[in-house]
Formats: sequence, structure tokens, C-alpha cells
Amino acid sequence: MSGAQAMAPALADLLEGKGLSRKAAAQSLLSGLGAKLTRASDLPSPASRRDPLPTRVPALDRLLSGGLPRGGLVELCGRRSSGRFSIAMSTLAAATSGGEAAALVDLGGHLDPQSAEEAGVDLERLLWVRPEKLKGAVTSAEMLLSTGFPLVVVDLGLPPVRGRFVPDAAWVRLERAARSHGAALFVLAPYRVSGIAASAAVSAGSARALWEGSGRESRLLGGLSARLVLEKDAGARGGKAEEMGLVAVPELSP
Amino acid sequence: MIACLFVPLFPLAARLRAEPELKDEAVAVCEGNGSAARIVAATRKARRAGIEAGMTLPQARAILPKLVARGRDRACESAAQEALLEVAESFSPRVEDEGEGVVYLELDGHPMLGVPGEITPLSPTPSPKGRGAASLGMAILLAAEKALLPARVGVAASKLAARVAAGLPGSPTVVADGEEQRFLAPLPLERLAPALEIAATLDRWGLHTIGDFAKLPEGQVGSRLGEAGRALHATARGIDPRPLEPRLPPPVFTEGLELEWPLATLEPFLFVGHAALERLVRRLEAQALACTRLDVALELDPGGHDARSIALPAPTRDVKTLLTLVRLELEARPPGAAVAGFSFTAHPDAPRRAQLTLFGPAALSPDRLATTIARLAALLGSDRVGSPRSVDGHRPERLTLTGYAPPPPPRVKPAPRDGRGLLSVRVLRPPVELEVLLGDSDSVGAALAAARNEGGDKPRPYSIRSTPGAAPPIAGSVRVAAGPWSLEEGWWTDAPADRDYWDVELTDGGLYRIYRDRDGGHWFADGVYD
Repeated sequence: MSGAQAMAPALADLLEGKGLSRKAAAQSLLSGLGAKLTRASDLPSPASRRDPLPTRVPALDRLLSGGLPRGGLVELCGRRSSGRFSIAMSTLAAATSGGEAAALVDLGGHLDPQSAEEAGVDLERLLWVRPEKLKGAVTSAEMLLSTGFPLVVVDLGLPPVRGRFVPDAAWVRLERAARSHGAALFVLAPYRVSGIAASAAVSAGSARALWEGSGRESRLLGGLSARLVLEKDAGARGGKAEEMGLVAVPELSP
Repeated sequence: MIACLFVPLFPLAARLRAEPELKDEAVAVCEGNGSAARIVAATRKARRAGIEAGMTLPQARAILPKLVARGRDRACESAAQEALLEVAESFSPRVEDEGEGVVYLELDGHPMLGVPGEITPLSPTPSPKGRGAASLGMAILLAAEKALLPARVGVAASKLAARVAAGLPGSPTVVADGEEQRFLAPLPLERLAPALEIAATLDRWGLHTIGDFAKLPEGQVGSRLGEAGRALHATARGIDPRPLEPRLPPPVFTEGLELEWPLATLEPFLFVGHAALERLVRRLEAQALACTRLDVALELDPGGHDARSIALPAPTRDVKTLLTLVRLELEARPPGAAVAGFSFTAHPDAPRRAQLTLFGPAALSPDRLATTIARLAALLGSDRVGSPRSVDGHRPERLTLTGYAPPPPPRVKPAPRDGRGLLSVRVLRPPVELEVLLGDSDSVGAALAAARNEGGDKPRPYSIRSTPGAAPPIAGSVRVAAGPWSLEEGWWTDAPADRDYWDVELTDGGLYRIYRDRDGGHWFADGVYD
């Protein structure tokens, strides 16, 4: 009996609500194509077929299988001093140094051009938009995606997020805009905001500051370490975690 | 060859261009005030009902009570004339403005004219050149129609013959080179628009066609009718010595309207303004230009003017963007009185061009980018959109913003660089004012002693809390403090910076950059390491 012939009665039983009564057919069903498609997220997504946009943060790139998917929304959430903004700068640096235009929708207006330049961001290719409210941020992001920016980073700043809550439908619209234009949309927020729209969600936690020196002697901020956890991903199983390290002064890094 | 572009019933055509919804109505354009107003032009529907030019408005209303009457609008006519000139300029660089819906353009060397040949409207088989001229005439007609102006076209070797040909129905009419006299001969003398006295004399002589007049001996005509008669006789023979006098292209584009009723609210004004902006953008598009600055001039009721200028971050032809900018400008600074008329003046600039690459990253469409930036500037404010630039100095909050004009992408995508893994700072603008307890973290007593600097050791921040209402709120005990680092800048200016900086880690894990202003003694947080 071929695999397909064995699977047919098993499928018929399943449709009739009898469960898997025939052993051979059940084994065929469980070891064949069905075994490979245990989750809908295992199906290849359109975004995963294109080259991802690397963030140049090794831990995050490993979690996202190479970087931000083009044509998808990735959300990174974390509390204060969890390395969110540094990841944004690194992502913008990776895109702009590769000759691509990028836009930063900065709800809190937190960008420091000097430190962005030090992080490797080509400021000439960066469009900086500073909305005052969350609604303005979402509207701006949609306009920028429609214009054709290959990377749009939306940073919602520090809690409490300015402006009223926007419905999930707004994030779904943004995700669709990103998908239709093949753009990478990266949302950084203090807590999850995009709901089901995000194709991947990563949380940054367990952040720890690294200090040079000890006791009452002079101290110097050396950097920050944080744990990135993949909460959700359409292309991989969630729950994976990676350690991320950031240095405050590059000359002091090992 | 010279082409004449002529718009019959020009005051009416200009008005209908501004109000296209009246095209199928019985409309008359009047000149004068009150009951003395006289009809200048009327639509076909009105003419069929018996309305004629020269009637007074009460007479016309007696014939057709539902007649829609509009006064002559010089702003409309001026804009329509400009639009007509721009249509002509899209075919030839040498264009003469005759005014009142008449424009001449030189066609010599135009690729559509083809080889020389012979054609008259009377000849059954036009030559290739004639066919070329007819095709060109038809193209000019279509372009004028696109500019919402129903025009006629005449093509001839002289301005006069072209003007007469343009007045004939069945446009375009082409007169072959050297055939002007033959073309003009069967036409009535009125086509030459002679002076009234000369016309009366010629009528008394029993002359009715141009050909009859042209047959008279030139010397005899000159001795009886004077210099004006001699010139008219020359034109009757197809001789027109007037050269084409090309005009200089205008530096700006203007569209406007005098309103029938003053408008006191914004929405109706934007409704009529939208149509004017659409016409303006269409004219810019015909010249491959975009608007880089928009001037808005308002005529106020009962008197007075209001003018304002809207600078755009990048040249654009997007009507929605321009209208949004006008709306925001008028909402921010209302004119203070009802608007009786308006004009929009666009200062043109070349739109940005994109250079595409085969192997490098895709470039953004300059036109779409300009439109998006203009819309973002309208939505958020022009100081909230742009490209950041670093500034020389030491103050962390230093910043400058320039217009966003990204360089073209590289031809080949460069090899990716490794990330530097740097810890970045979120700058808090404006800085958050803090209440800071200084001392040692071991005990509050020691902290207070250190705050008084009794131990001789430098006091350290022990606990910090933002002032009530500050955003974002910051509060907590200091786990680790590093500092101070002094910053002194601009002591020679009115706003010097004299600060002691600390990096502090709070017990909740927040990492802040705080400073004490040495002048005032106040504490602020101006950054969050994140």
C-alpha cells in the first residue's frame, strides 16, 4: 500500500470524528507530509523568502534568522535601559551604511545625532520624524512605508507612551503596508502594542549595567547586557533566547 | 510657419474653466454694474434661447429667467491666458501673447511639420507638410482642451492669415505658404477687422469680400484711405510684415478667482481653492515643473488684502498636500474677514530626479518623497521632519535639522559592516528636572553629612526623583553613581553651560545621565542609556 493510499482512510476517519483507527494509515499520516506541517507557522511566509535586513546585533540576528524580514513587522519590547534604542541605532546603521534610505519615527524625540553617527548611521540617508502622539507616529509610519522606504523604525519612547491607544487594526494596516512594499517595519515599544500584526516579537529583559571599578573608587559605565527572548515568530518556534552585550565606550571593550 | 491659438468667447471660456460645473448651463458673462450690465458672451444653451452679446442683463433675464449671470473676472481671464500661453510653449519656445485668448507660436523646425508642400482648406489632397501641420494643429487643440480651454487653431505663413484661419470653424485650418491671398479672397471683409470708418467706406464702394478689396490698385487705395487703408490693403493681399514678438516665460504661475459671495468659513473656501490648485498643478505639470513655494493672496470683504507665503520642504505637484498646507496656514492665522477673492501663486522649481541602479539598493522616487515630506510637515510641523545633523560642541542636546535629500544609492551594494555594539543614549528634550539627595548609599545620615560635604569627600547622588508632572517620571534609589565629569561651554555667551555630569543606575535598573547645573544648583536628567 502506498503512502497516499494508506493516508486516505485515515483522513476519512478523522473527518468522520473516529480518530486514527487504522495503525498503518495513522503511521503514514503522522510520518508523511502531515508530520512536517504540525504548525501553521511552519509554512513559508512571503517575507521569509527575501533577504532579511540585518540589525548587526548578533543576538537579535540569530533569533530572527538573519535579521528583520522585508515585508514584515517585528516588534521589540523592553523596559527602560534594556538596549532597545541601541538596537534601533544598530539597525539604522546597518541599512544606511549599505546605501539604503531609512526612516526613524521617534515618538519621544530621543535621537542624539552625535551618538547615532558614532554608531555608524549615515545621517544623510536617515529621515527623522518626531510626532507628538502615538496616532501621529502610526500615520507617519504608514506614509513612509507607502513612499518606499526599505526600513522604517518606529520608536515609541519611554513609558508612558504619548497619545491615546491605537486599535489593533492600525497595526494590521501598517503590517500590510510593509508587506505590500517589501519594507522592514521595526517597532520598539516599552510593552507589546502591535498585537497579532507582528510577524515576530522579541522582548528584551534581565538588563544589567556593567561598571568598571568597584567599591568607593571611581566608577565608569562599561556597557549593558540584556537577554533577548523570541516571544513570537511566524517562521520559528518562540521561546529561544540570546544574550546581548553593548559597550558604552568602545575603547574599553575586550 | 506661424500657428494662431484662439479661444472664441474668451471671457466665457475663462469663467467656465474656473467653474466647469456650469458648462452645460445657460450662462452669460456680463460687464458693468446693476441693470446697466451688458452681456459679453453666452453659452450655446443661452444663445439658443435668444441671448445675444450686447443685451443688458435685465433684457436677457426677461428672455431667460434662469440665466446664470457671472461678471467678468480678470483673475480668471489672466490665469486662462497664462494657461493658453503655456499650452503654446509646450510646442514652441517662441510664443507671442496677443491677449484676450489669442496666442501666436512659431512652428518652423518642428519635427511634425515634415517636408514642404502645398495645402489649403480648399485643396482636396493635402501634401505631407500640410498633413504634418494639420496633425500638429490637432495636437495643439488637444493640449488646449486638456487645459480646459476650447480653442481653434490656424496655421499659416503670417500672423494675420493664421489669425483669420483660426477664426474659421472646422479647426485646425492650415494655409499653405504663399497661398495667403488665395485663402483670404473669398472671406468677408469683416475678417480683417477694419476700422469702422474704413469699413463704412468699403461698404459704400460695394466691396464685401477680401478678394474684391485686394484687386484694387494699391496706390489708389492709399491716396483715398490713408496709411491705415494701405496697411489693410496689404493684409488683404496676404502681406503681413509684423514679426512674431516672443514673450519671456513667467517666473511664477498664478491661479485665482473672484468669488460671487464672500466666504466666511474655511471649508467652502477650500472647496473652490481645490479647483484652483488643480489648475495650477496642471500648468506646472505641462512645464515639467513643481511648486517650491506657494503664495496665497486673499481679497477681503469689504476691503483689504491678506497675503501669506507657504514654503515647501521639497518641490511637489501634489494637490492634496498643497491644499493641506493652505488649510493649516489659514487655521493657524485666520484672515480676520470674509474672503471675496483669492489667488494662488506657485514659485516653480524643477522636480527632483532619480538615478536608477541595476545592482545597488533601490532609490526612493523623488516626487513621492517630496510629497510625503510635505504631507508630514503639514501634519506634524516643518520642524519635526528632516535629516538630523551633528553639531560641533559638547552639550549633549545639541542638534540641527536639515532638509532630507538623500544621496543617490551606490551602484553596487557595499559589503555589510559589523555592528559596533555601542550603547546609545536617549536624549531627553527638554531635560527632566530632578530632586536629588546627595550622600553615601550606606545610610541616610551619612548621605546628609556628605550632602553638607562634611567629610571632605565629593557627595554622590543617593536618591533621585523627578519633579511632579515631569515626563518621563524618574524615581528611585541610586545603586551605582559614576562621576562627576565637568562640562563647561559657551561661557562667553548669554546661555553658558556649566555642569557636573553623573551616570547613575537606579535600583529599578534604569541607567540615567544626570547633571547638576553649577550656576543654579539644580539637577536635571538629560539622557537615558538604552
